[in-house]
Amino acid sequence: MNDPVLKGAAYALIQANDVALHQGSTPVSERLANPDSHFLAELPAHWRSFEQAVAYPPNQAFIGNIHPRELRRIPRPWHGNLMDDARAGGKHGAIFSEDVLYALMKAVDAFDLVLLDNEFLAPIKEKLLIYEGIKQWGCLARLDKNQAALIRIEELVASGSAEPMYFEHQLVGCVKRAHEYDVALSAHVMFENLVAKATGAAALQLLMNKTRLIPADVDYLIECSEEACGDMNQRGGGNFAKAVGEICGCVNATGSDTRSFCAGPAHAIVEAAALVRSGIYDHVVVLAGGASAKLGMNSRDHVKKGLPMLEDMLGAFAVHIAKNDGISPVIRTDAVGRHKIGSGASPQAVMQAIVADPLADAGLRISDIDIFSAELQNPEITEPAGAGDVPGANYKMIAALGVMRKEFDRSRLNQVVESIGMPGFAPTQGHIPSGVPFLAHCRASILDGTIQRAMIIGKGSLFLGRMTNLFDGISFIIQANAGAKSENEDHQARCGSKKTRVGLTVLGSEHPVSELVKGAEAASAADPCLEVVLIGGKKSGKLAAVAADSPEACLKIMDQMLAQGHLDAAVAMHYAFPLSVSTVGRIITPAFGRKVYLANTTGASATQRVEALVRNTISGIAVAKACGNQAPTVGLLNLEGARQAERILRTLCQNGYRISFAGSGRADGGAVMRGNDLLRGVPDIMVMDSLTGNVMIKVFSAFSSGGGYESSGDGYGPGVGEKYGKVVNIISRASGAPVVAGALLYAAEAARGNLPDVAAAEFAAAKKAGLGDLFCPLTTDRPLEEKAAAPPEKAVDEEIAGIEVFVIEDAVKQLWKNGIYAASGMGCTGPVIMVASEDHTKAIALLKQGGYL
Amino acid sequence: MDLGNQQRIKELAEQYGSEELLVVLGGAEAEASGLAAETVSVGDPTYAGPLAGVSLGLKAYHMFELKNEVDGAIYEEQVGMMEMVLNVDAIISEVTAYRAQ
Amino acid sequence: MSLLTGKKVVILGDRDGIPGPAIEECVKSTGAEVVFSTTECFV
Repeated sequence: MNDPVLKGAAYALIQANDVALHQGSTPVSERLANPDSHFLAELPAHWRSFEQAVAYPPNQAFIGNIHPRELRRIPRPWHGNLMDDARAGGKHGAIFSEDVLYALMKAVDAFDLVLLDNEFLAPIKEKLLIYEGIKQWGCLARLDKNQAALIRIEELVASGSAEPMYFEHQLVGCVKRAHEYDVALSAHVMFENLVAKATGAAALQLLMNKTRLIPADVDYLIECSEEACGDMNQRGGGNFAKAVGEICGCVNATGSDTRSFCAGPAHAIVEAAALVRSGIYDHVVVLAGGASAKLGMNSRDHVKKGLPMLEDMLGAFAVHIAKNDGISPVIRTDAVGRHKIGSGASPQAVMQAIVADPLADAGLRISDIDIFSAELQNPEITEPAGAGDVPGANYKMIAALGVMRKEFDRSRLNQVVESIGMPGFAPTQGHIPSGVPFLAHCRASILDGTIQRAMIIGKGSLFLGRMTNLFDGISFIIQANAGAKSENEDHQARCGSKKTRVGLTVLGSEHPVSELVKGAEAASAADPCLEVVLIGGKKSGKLAAVAADSPEACLKIMDQMLAQGHLDAAVAMHYAFPLSVSTVGRIITPAFGRKVYLANTTGASATQRVEALVRNTISGIAVAKACGNQAPTVGLLNLEGARQAERILRTLCQNGYRISFAGSGRADGGAVMRGNDLLRGVPDIMVMDSLTGNVMIKVFSAFSSGGGYESSGDGYGPGVGEKYGKVVNIISRASGAPVVAGALLYAAEAARGNLPDVAAAEFAAAKKAGLGDLFCPLTTDRPLEEKAAAPPEKAVDEEIAGIEVFVIEDAVKQLWKNGIYAASGMGCTGPVIMVASEDHTKAIALLKQGGYL
Repeated sequence: MDLGNQQRIKELAEQYGSEELLVVLGGAEAEASGLAAETVSVGDPTYAGPLAGVSLGLKAYHMFELKNEVDGAIYEEQVGMMEMVLNVDAIISEVTAYRAQ
Repeated sequence: MSLLTGKKVVILGDRDGIPGPAIEECVKSTGAEVVFSTTECFV
């Protein structure tokens, strides 16, 4: 899939009141024609403060703190309804002040043209340090060079060889001409070009700050402002693009400039899309700085009508077009609209060419586009100047086109306008409002599913250059990424409505925190439905983190988060479970690589040994079932108490609590397993006491790595108990990344399988089958048999196993009392009673009766 | 009105006279259109340009007013859509008010 | 017989209203002569 995507967009606004007064074309023309003009004298009284400019709702929309459509809810005039919670820093950009602009102009000036008064410069250098990214620009070193005294600056300005830089009516600097008589390098031209360069670089830096774009990633830059840089022999030579890229460290890029008046940005984005789609480049940035000439362009009317000088903001943007990442919205290169040379000049012909034709190419109708981003000039600026509501007119034209194409009835015109458009919010900076201000909002809305498809339109008044009477326009469609969508659908099907969140405590290990983070990353990569939260760590890649400064704090926070439902499960080191809760580990057995549950590996299920073994079995069964094995096989490792436990379990089984017993791989079978069975992974669940389990899990986890680094298996497992309501899996301080990863995946399985509920159900079922009653006969306060006389000795050739060693002598005496000769001994599986084969059946019956079997 | 355009119209008025010369406007807004009509008849009311205080006495019409004076099909093709977009009545009213009599 | 017949016409078009060339087409259809046409842009 070669489709290019809109991977990021960022915006800058720079307030520049003094620049408007001294370099804006309208005030400058006025000063030439009428130096004593009343309008010029009055203009500063209409200036806004920086705070007012920041709090101006359209400016907040421009930098992404509100959606443009929220402006519909704010009554006009917006300049009379400033926002209380406005910030100069925005979701998609930032607002800068004029003093910062001047510092940036000096920083980006490679030809020593900008002089700034030391007194002005000193505090600004400090101010720049708050700007992430900008503060790291290498070119900031220029601020310490070529300093000038105010008197020199005044001289240069008075002589006419430099453009003045005023701040709050004080002369603080100047931009010198770059050549004595070359008009293309006049002071005024250099001023304008440095404004474009500095503001363009600020926007590019914001793009990098706000997205994951790093300078070295950029392959190509396209600058699309309306300035020209060159000299008398090549007045529009160009390449602001490369100059801006240099400031921001794009060492792997080159660039070029694209010009088409206000339609420039839309052309540039189509070009960028083509470069990416063709595979020539992977990452292209389209950017443009602001136009100082346009500041205060309509201020005559604003002053006349008692409005603030609303055209005090320079605008800039930077957009990242990249190869398909499967997520970001896609730019459709199969449906680009263009106003052709032969299209005709009527508004209808223009709309036909830019809107109707590309929709037809894409097989779409106007109603298939959720929102159109046309020219987005702020109507509050343009209406007082007699230019009307430009976006509004555009939307009406699109709707009218729809009426003419019989898509809607004329009576619905206003409704359609509401649904396809948005209020204008961009400053009248020419190329800046043309389609691009909405791109960051567009991307966000597509990613969160609010909209599917948008059309971006750029239009340009070419006739202003006196080369042609033609108009220009270009459009493209952005839509949701099909890759991302199907990935989301698949994800939905697998994960239900949300991912499983598992916390991981990262402090307290014998290994570095990075080892645990590695395990977390591996688990996340293996299971896209898993979301790991590092507790005690720092945000890492896609992993979220919660701060904690000690292992104890980690556990506390973990418990809090589990209690509040912020986590579905957790993996922890050294967590103390209450009595009657113990953990069921999971190992990989060597013979066939089969996973086996070890019940149990830590904790105490009961104080009495056999009871503990029985409870461990039920815990093991609960975990296996929660993790998807509905009929797990059970084996008991041949340890002290195993036979007793087996007997009890078989009784439960007979009483209705179903257990599937595994059979030993050894010749004599039985549910009591040997070491070989453990190595071969014979049962699904191997039951043992926790101390043995703890030894086993360590041996199995670290056998091949030599002991200090657990590299195999899924860890010590979740704590299970009759009434334990959490899913907390244990790992040890020696657990390495593979075990951490395994434990996270294991915890997620247990959480998804509702382990606490399953365990409660298993214990309830076992209780119903008599679990509570079966432990009583094993109390040791029973009278020992007094010495009995042995019957006549016989040859004994049958072994009866399963009698506890501490009562075996009593059992023998019991048989003697009943006339059966028996002797105790040590069989290969443990203590046995030997009897003659003809006595075997009777002996067993007696032993059962006596409670020894 | 653009100051350069004011100058041009002044020159053309001197060349052809106010009987023969006629101005056709395409303004989007009533106020701006009225202003243009006023400028070419009694002079630039903002006193900003070459027509400040200069009464050319030229008659200005907005294109919407000339619907029946031009070819119907061509009007429909070139101007028709804008009847749905702009405030036709307000524009016509303003321009009529400022037109030279 | 149109209001415009035999007249010399100056066209002041508007980029956001009706542009010069569009007005020109209409005016030319009456036989009137267009002596000057421009389109203004306020944004």
